[in-house]
Amino acid sequence: MKIIKGIKISPGIAIGPIYYFERYKFPIPKTYIKSEERDNELMRLKRATSKAAGELSQLRELVLDHLDEGHARMIDAQLMALTDEEVMKEVKKVVQEERKNVMWAYFDVMTQYEKALDKTLYIYHKERYIDIRDVKKRVIHHLSAEKQYTAPDLTEPSIFVSKRISPSDIIHIHHVNAIGIITEIGGFDSHSGILARAFRIPYLSNVLEIDKIIGTEEVILDADEEKIIFNANKNVMKEYEKRARQFLISKKKSLRGQVVHESRDGLPFHIFMNAGFLSEVEAIEPSSIQGIGLFRTEYQCIESNSIPDEDDQFETYSKVIKNMNGLQVTFRTFDFGRDKFIDMLDLEMFHQDQFFDDWGGISFCLENPSLLTSQLRAFLRSSVHGPIQIMLPMVSSVDEVLKFKEILRNVQIELREEGIAFSEKIYLGAMIETKDVMQILDDLAHEVDFFSIGTNDLSLYLIGSERKSSLIKNHYHPVMFQAISKIVESAKRYQIPVNVCGEMGADPYALIGLAAIGIRAVSVSYSAVQQVAEVVGNISIREVELIADELLSADDTLEIYTMLKKFYDDNVKPGNAEVA
Amino acid sequence: MIQQSVRIVNKYGLHTRPATVFVTQASKFKSDVFVIYNGVRVNAKSILGLLILAVEPGAEITIEADGDDEKEAIEKLVALTKNKFNLE
Repeated sequence: MKIIKGIKISPGIAIGPIYYFERYKFPIPKTYIKSEERDNELMRLKRATSKAAGELSQLRELVLDHLDEGHARMIDAQLMALTDEEVMKEVKKVVQEERKNVMWAYFDVMTQYEKALDKTLYIYHKERYIDIRDVKKRVIHHLSAEKQYTAPDLTEPSIFVSKRISPSDIIHIHHVNAIGIITEIGGFDSHSGILARAFRIPYLSNVLEIDKIIGTEEVILDADEEKIIFNANKNVMKEYEKRARQFLISKKKSLRGQVVHESRDGLPFHIFMNAGFLSEVEAIEPSSIQGIGLFRTEYQCIESNSIPDEDDQFETYSKVIKNMNGLQVTFRTFDFGRDKFIDMLDLEMFHQDQFFDDWGGISFCLENPSLLTSQLRAFLRSSVHGPIQIMLPMVSSVDEVLKFKEILRNVQIELREEGIAFSEKIYLGAMIETKDVMQILDDLAHEVDFFSIGTNDLSLYLIGSERKSSLIKNHYHPVMFQAISKIVESAKRYQIPVNVCGEMGADPYALIGLAAIGIRAVSVSYSAVQQVAEVVGNISIREVELIADELLSADDTLEIYTMLKKFYDDNVKPGNAEVA
Repeated sequence: MIQQSVRIVNKYGLHTRPATVFVTQASKFKSDVFVIYNGVRVNAKSILGLLILAVEPGAEITIEADGDDEKEAIEKLVALTKNKFNLE
């Protein structure tokens, strides 16, 4: 029996064979075509390259707007390679003379160029060279009958092992038999991490000895205890088989009936869900929660590797709203942080480009009005299916909100002129998650209908990402509670609702602290709903408010952690729970 | 068919960015255009073809054009190369 260690990204247990995935190794069907199929094959290639060119042109526009001509020209090279005369000639020849299917032919030709280019690297080392693999990948993707091209289908339930995993990989493999994930690189707060937890796939990262796992028949992935076991003896295996079964049962369990929405002393407390995919929303029982507090619209872009058009968006949003049966859905406008955008670009050469750092949030959308307009049209058109709210990410000035409102007004006028129905009652909210916005809370409260506190980013901006101890998270930092209290006070003055959406709201101890300083609504991932409801139903808000002063005057993270844990142990811990 | 030799005077040779400019320009002509370097002859309208030549800074290439507008093509492309592909 051998054990290797990793870091937990998503909890759970899985037992199964390994599926080792190396990026850029495509499954290419090695089939020959009949002579009458030749023209059709070449047409397929034409369609595939023009689709890929469409994607890249869209990217080029964005890059040109935000960076410079130089970066845009790197995409020009990819675009040129897509329609390269010589490549087309050679592929045509291979298809016509050797009768290879077009995907195979294209793959062969491009691989030859790729190899030849690799040899020239010594000369071009001062300049990034063309990302020919990206070109190849995009075309193969469009040639492939399957929708996804990043990761292949797993033919049997397997543990996915790779150097790293992209969000689109996870989206794909969770549909096709992935029961666990092991990677060498990957962080807890990464998008892949958020997705693995959303899909409840056990995931260990920072596993340094991946080589040792490859080739083993069966491994036990114990993400809970951060270890991978192979060649397990009978007893250990037996125990784990039991735990893996329990995990599967708990994973399948959807919440039945409504979870509590008031505290033990009868004060209302709302629990909303965070989501990013239609499939997530379809999998739940909507009546168990009070609505969607955050729908991350940019996930649709990661899924399709491009920005969906108005109609595609409209379709998705409408389905999400209909699925919620009249409960409120809060859509956040596209939030392209650096990581998300780069995942979408999926261009290797941009991965380390610091130029992308200041992208993201509502400012990105305001700078790309056509993108924002089509999204707003999709929101408004879908609003006939149920109540929706619109939320702006990373707001840092009142001016941004005013500009947004103007665009919204124009979209409304446009739709009226076109005779398209939409709801007139759509509330507008601002996410409070940057340092700048903390200085203008009152002015902002005057302009929006609600606040939503994004604790993940807020803690990054206020405290930094450094963790003092692995046990005590950033959100126990005194600065966080002081800031949130300030936000709550401001919202109260202007009588607008405020909620917390982020990891902090899902942490049972931190949740008690939030309740103490006046938070009455949180939006969390669905898997955390039950736990949040348990805490809410077992605490008396009147009692918990008594610790607010102590909480806000504390000047030490550990002090806060200890205080909140004690309150939890005294009130919520099983054994004390019966009071409810 | 005409040919003319020209020296690469830009800093890093005929790498991605200059090659992109070169292909764009070459594609504007009806004539077939080729670049010959180290005994290898490639289609000057093919970005990948140009890149695998790996033309180093200071090297001499031969531009060849064949067609109705061959004269103009050679003139424009030689000027472009001498002018460091309008990039520096």
